[in-house]
Amino acid sequence: MAGVGNRVLAGTDRALDLLRELPRLSLSNIRSNPKAFKRNKRGRGQHGGKKHGAGNKGSGQRQNFMRLGYETGNNPFYLRVPKEPYYKGHHIRREYPPISLMQLQTLIDTGRLDTSKPIDLTALCNTKLFQLSPFENQYGFQLTDEGLDNFKGRINIEVQYAPEQVIAAIEKNGGVITTAFYDAPSLIAMRDPMKFFASGTPIPKRQMPPENAVEYYTDPKNRGYLADPDLVALERFKLAQKYGYELPDLKKDPELLPMMLERKDPRQIFFGLNPGWLVNLKDKKIFEPEDEQLLEYYRS
Amino acid sequence: MDLRNFCCLRRLLISSTSCSRAYLSGFKSNLSLDKLYPTSRLDITTIPKAPESKDGKFSGYIPMDKIQVNYVRSGGPGGQNVNCVSTKTEVRFHLASADWIPEPIRVKLAERVKNQISKEGYFIVKSERTRSQQLNLADTLDKLRNLIHSVAQSLVVPEVSEETLERQRRLRERAARERLKEKRAHSMTKQGRQSPTLDS
Repeated sequence: MAGVGNRVLAGTDRALDLLRELPRLSLSNIRSNPKAFKRNKRGRGQHGGKKHGAGNKGSGQRQNFMRLGYETGNNPFYLRVPKEPYYKGHHIRREYPPISLMQLQTLIDTGRLDTSKPIDLTALCNTKLFQLSPFENQYGFQLTDEGLDNFKGRINIEVQYAPEQVIAAIEKNGGVITTAFYDAPSLIAMRDPMKFFASGTPIPKRQMPPENAVEYYTDPKNRGYLADPDLVALERFKLAQKYGYELPDLKKDPELLPMMLERKDPRQIFFGLNPGWLVNLKDKKIFEPEDEQLLEYYRS
Repeated sequence: MDLRNFCCLRRLLISSTSCSRAYLSGFKSNLSLDKLYPTSRLDITTIPKAPESKDGKFSGYIPMDKIQVNYVRSGGPGGQNVNCVSTKTEVRFHLASADWIPEPIRVKLAERVKNQISKEGYFIVKSERTRSQQLNLADTLDKLRNLIHSVAQSLVVPEVSEETLERQRRLRERAARERLKEKRAHSMTKQGRQSPTLDS
């Protein structure tokens, strides 16, 4: 056995030792594994052999093929099943699993959601009561208006869709609501942060919404995360007039104000963590890139 | 983007055993709101000043402290829900002393809804359109606002030009002439059906 002195090498060590002795790799000293490719046995004949790949008898050998989809006379599948416009693009449509205001209130009342911190998709998934499956075209949560009249929580919440009356209900109680978009890789990171951190991947940067969603997320009426905050303030006032309540002054509560105004950057996924950072849970350390190129990439 | 391939030193940023508010990184990318809207004050907490209803024009603003909102039970079928849940919304206010409505509009409104004003002078608007209190309240306020706006609209006298007035006068006179012509022709037809007499 190969060895250095008297020491016997095995496995990886032996392989590395061999590598040190062997000549440089080139085309002349490598070959494919046996049976990696099939040699043409009968290479004679212009199109490769006796029957030229056409088989025996039938329309195949006689070059009289039936058209694609033909089912020898009966009504073929592609004519039998009608086309329906309603399902066009159904596999591309984004889905938003619902969370009702009633459920939200129950979570707040039972203490499963911490109202002293902003509530986002991660917080909702951490309750383990809601599942999100980005692989099934689910792009986040939407708030529904069930339990609209009895909602009393004062929260800073970020969801992916909320109708007007839900926005009114949350703002009436002195809360703040924002609608934000997350792309699929960001969602996979967000729904189970511990698993994501354990994978040893740096935090990705959030992508911009697709074309058909840009209008929604830049509209102050929807409290979009890309909308102008001054216009959002105006819409808050208008909504208060529409739904008949006095718009609460958020500045009256200076202790809660920073929490209420806390917002993520459009490229950020987690509160307090930047894209590009690498979280080491085991050693409880966070690493950040120092290279200028990387910093520029994550900031752009 | 594999960081491990880069030879750059990875700086140890945070080594802590407990999470606290101090970890807020304040990250700002090139797409942060201050770069998207450089002229904006970026403040969602500002409450704009309520538009005033002046010069006899209604601005559309209804002060919520000047009106009373009641929730009562709705009518109709619905079992336990309609019997127990107060979804009907009532908005009432004293019309004569409602200074948030300009005076001429207030007077005209009182005239228009005089059958819906209570003995004490309170105007009541109701809605039980939906199953939700809040949506019914929105509907009630919508009704009230539309009513005040339509009254305001009816008070506005449109400025008509002299040519239009002249044209309207000519058209009226022509219509009268045509009517009389047809009337005479009809009269002749009826007379023609009479049997002739010795004097005609």
